[in-house]
Amino acid sequence: MRNRPLLRTSYNQELALLDTTSKKVAVGILLAVGAALPWLVEDQLLQLIGLACVTAIGAIGLNIVTGYAGQVSLGHAFFLAIGAYTAAAIAGDPDARTIGFGVQEILIWLPAAGLVAAVAGVLVAPLATRLRGLYLAIVTLGLVFIGGHVINEWSELTGGPGIGRQPPAPKLFGYDLNASDAFLTRDQKLYLLMLVLLVLAALAARNLARSRVGRAFTAIRDRDIAAGVMGVNLARYKTIAFGVSSFYAGCAGALLYVGVGYFDPTTFNLLLSVQYIAMVLIGGAGTVSGAILGAFLITLLPRLIREVPSFLPFISNSPAESPNAYQLETVLYGVLIIVFLIFEPRGLFGIWIRLRTYWKAWPFSY
Amino acid sequence: MKDFLESVLRGIGTGSVYALLGLGFVIIYKATRVISFAQPAFMLAGAVLVTYLAGPLGFFLALAASAVLTGGIALGVERLAVRPMIGRPVFTVAIITLGIDIAVRVVVNGAIGLDVRQVGDPWGLKVWKLPGGVQVEQRHVAMVLTTAVLIALLFVFFRYTRTGLAMRAASYDQEAALAQGVSVGSVFALSWALAGALAAVAGTYAAVGGSVSESLWLIALTALPVIILGGLDSLPGAVIGGLVVGTVQELTATYQGSVPWLGGNISVVTPYVVMFLVLLVRPYGLFGTREVERV
Amino acid sequence: MKRLGMIALAAVLTVGSLAGCRGGDNTDNSKGSSGPKSDVGITKEPCPKSEHKDRGCIYLGIISDLTVGPFHVLAVPITDAQKAFWKRVNAQGGIGGYDIDAETYVRDNKYNPQTHNEAYQEMKGKVLALAQSLGSPTTAAILPDMKQNNVIAAPAAWTSAYAFEDNILESGANYCIESMNAVDYANETFKPKTVMAVHLAGDYGDDAAAGAKIAAEKLGMTFINVKTDSGTDKQAGAVTAIVTQKPDLVILTTGPADAAAIVGGAAQRGFKGRFIGTSPSWNQGLLATAAAPALKALYLQSSPWKSWASDTPGHKAMREALPGVTPNDGYTSGWVWSYPLLAALKKAQADGDLTRAGLLKAAKSLTKVDYEGMLPDGAGNYAGGADGIFRQSLIYNPTVGAGGPNEIKLEKDYFTGSVAKDYKLDKPCYEKL
Repeated sequence: MRNRPLLRTSYNQELALLDTTSKKVAVGILLAVGAALPWLVEDQLLQLIGLACVTAIGAIGLNIVTGYAGQVSLGHAFFLAIGAYTAAAIAGDPDARTIGFGVQEILIWLPAAGLVAAVAGVLVAPLATRLRGLYLAIVTLGLVFIGGHVINEWSELTGGPGIGRQPPAPKLFGYDLNASDAFLTRDQKLYLLMLVLLVLAALAARNLARSRVGRAFTAIRDRDIAAGVMGVNLARYKTIAFGVSSFYAGCAGALLYVGVGYFDPTTFNLLLSVQYIAMVLIGGAGTVSGAILGAFLITLLPRLIREVPSFLPFISNSPAESPNAYQLETVLYGVLIIVFLIFEPRGLFGIWIRLRTYWKAWPFSY
Repeated sequence: MKDFLESVLRGIGTGSVYALLGLGFVIIYKATRVISFAQPAFMLAGAVLVTYLAGPLGFFLALAASAVLTGGIALGVERLAVRPMIGRPVFTVAIITLGIDIAVRVVVNGAIGLDVRQVGDPWGLKVWKLPGGVQVEQRHVAMVLTTAVLIALLFVFFRYTRTGLAMRAASYDQEAALAQGVSVGSVFALSWALAGALAAVAGTYAAVGGSVSESLWLIALTALPVIILGGLDSLPGAVIGGLVVGTVQELTATYQGSVPWLGGNISVVTPYVVMFLVLLVRPYGLFGTREVERV
Repeated sequence: MKRLGMIALAAVLTVGSLAGCRGGDNTDNSKGSSGPKSDVGITKEPCPKSEHKDRGCIYLGIISDLTVGPFHVLAVPITDAQKAFWKRVNAQGGIGGYDIDAETYVRDNKYNPQTHNEAYQEMKGKVLALAQSLGSPTTAAILPDMKQNNVIAAPAAWTSAYAFEDNILESGANYCIESMNAVDYANETFKPKTVMAVHLAGDYGDDAAAGAKIAAEKLGMTFINVKTDSGTDKQAGAVTAIVTQKPDLVILTTGPADAAAIVGGAAQRGFKGRFIGTSPSWNQGLLATAAAPALKALYLQSSPWKSWASDTPGHKAMREALPGVTPNDGYTSGWVWSYPLLAALKKAQADGDLTRAGLLKAAKSLTKVDYEGMLPDGAGNYAGGADGIFRQSLIYNPTVGAGGPNEIKLEKDYFTGSVAKDYKLDKPCYEKL
């Protein structure tokens, strides 16, 4: 009985990080597989999964402000950009064309990127105390456009559109994570770094969600007026939500392009913001695991879709003919998102809930 | 002064295209409380249809046909992908419309082919001289007139027809409307079709005097600050928002040379700056309905 | 939590001990025996669609903008032409007992560096080189890895930064040199006093604008720099800048629809100066737009090589290889860009070393490339590095026909302007704007 989902026998259990044994086991196995992955798959896949881990950090961040606190922000790309450029400037080569201070220690540039983005988030938060719903969404979208103009113009920092600059090269206590050595390849090291950071970020988010602050967020999301009546300081908690969310975005932005080794300012556009919203919605808003699942799905989906045309030999692979395999790929990406949300609006997390409910009563399911 | 007047005239011209786009967004919003990110794709689709139809039919017939066809496409999309989502969170639906945008745009891009295409309009870049040497482009006059006619038609439709009344009722209170025998489903369908048709007209007029290439869809993004500026649920707001944004953008473009420290081509981001400024004073836009909060 | 940690640790240890199970990153498949040395991207088995079952196969990758990116209108014909080019190479006997396959690994990058990198990582272990890597930001995303693994690529851009990259085999004059020549041509023919560069931001527009600036300063003209954005409704600022500052010459680097909006808009507001656009600014479809009269009166186009209908062996071969297509200079570009890679492959094969390192070495040692007349002698000097760049370009009047079908009027055949001739390219031009 103790392990039935949704059956709580004590308040401590209600608040526990992982409330059932099966969850503990599942997380343990996942962590073990995650840690073993560098020795199981090729570097190119590892790079992609590492990217998915970083994306997941960003998605968890958006989930805090959108999923938990209910403030839909389309400005995530703006905060990602702030983090990315802060980190790149701190860790950048001082002799290069673009601004750089040559501090490659990740323990310095990563928190710094997060903090600068968090400050930007706190500055933006007053908008959220005035605006709601779609108004807030589109106004935060305005941030992306105005921020985009600034980073496109500020080529001393960003290299300029189409030219770009290098992301920070991580070093941990002087140990170079950005180059292969006798023990580990570059991709293995970076993947492990991203994985560890994702686990830390997820733990921190989960802990925030089950704290007083997290409950205040949920209250605001469910009905802000009622929350206000109960004594939740709306302005304060919305500011916290934006601050924390932007901190995550800043960290994610700083790490996002480390694997690729290059980024340019046009990357931080509307599409990027929307992709993050899609991750949160597809994963399931208001859950950390949902955000992670969504981030992995959206990051890996194009890769999976690229395999599809090889199973459909009758589709032309000549780009000059219509329809061709490449159009199919792109259409499929759009259609899959549509189909998925139509059939499972609660996201991947919703599928999990349904499965669980099904098995709960097994074999007497109906 | 001549520069100023000419800029304002151009701004009102392009602004009326923004207004048409904004109207489409607002009509969908009023019916379903959703912002449809599929509008840019419908806009491009409409313009591309005109480029194919203008040859055999002539510009105006092609425009009408394209509006009907695009409305039909929008109708189908609504039925397939949006109707099942009634009652779901609005942002889930918004992301679905985004998926639609990606899919439709790929198909339309395929139809554009390798060469830029023309809508075959009768105005081109011809101008009329006004007294005082001020010149006004004929296409901008055409844009304003077309927009005015469409707005008048919409006004008559919403004000004096039973369907229009039903749409207003459904937008005011869906359940009450249902209880009164209004088919809310067909209201949804109709609003999508209307919005699709408006997007097609807007897309075509955006390409008048120029050409249709896949970058045309970017114009539709300017409609987002327009509708926020005017107020999401206000039809007059969309029109005035469009005109304001168009005019401010043109004026900035004319005088941005004197403020080089703002960076190149600052006029592109002015709609967003205007939006910020207005929202700081009026959180529901110029004409949006203030949400009444009862505890 | 403690137990959880234990489980995790145990699992890590077990799986960790399996280290080495994962697939290798570089598949060494055909070593020793006869024929040239080889490592990645070459098989003894024939190509999947090859008619020559006795030949082996060299795989080349193509990563291009094929669906929704801003350059797919150019990228699609480029890709098509390149496929046809390598088919022709196969029909002419292949390279040292190998056929070339540029069909199997063709991927869409959507003009997104991230996607480009993913596609590259995916095909990296399977191709010898890249027959096309489209776009500067996208190529920049894979360049560090290409250098590390000795992968070479033909670009689909003319940015001056590629002169400094051994792994990129650029062809023709870069944007910077092309614009210098355009200003030089204008200087000879209609003596402008002020030059304005109207350009998109980034490696394409900035590079051309920098070339115009260098030439204008050298020739004693005033230079004005105007940045614009993509989208026909965003050209009002550029048009106003042109009509108020009245330059004698505008160097235009935008997309075709934007170019028409700028030229048409400026002419309609009374501008009488000249425009010279770089070749990606032009599209034959513009002649049917309302801007056509203005384009006819004011517009010239600089070009790094001769257009589709020209009379050279290379052009003829291209037209024969691509029957029934709508003429478009995307095809010409794709075809021209393929020659250096072919020359490098032939050289590497002759040296008996078709490994990636061997191919890179062969490419670096090329002092000239046979473009079958599409570019004049002296083009393709990769051994010369940044000093060996090609400095000749042409001026066309694309609005005037010239006899044959699809032929456009050539205003000035291959020439090197006075500025470009003496210009020492010491860093990418766009850094000098």
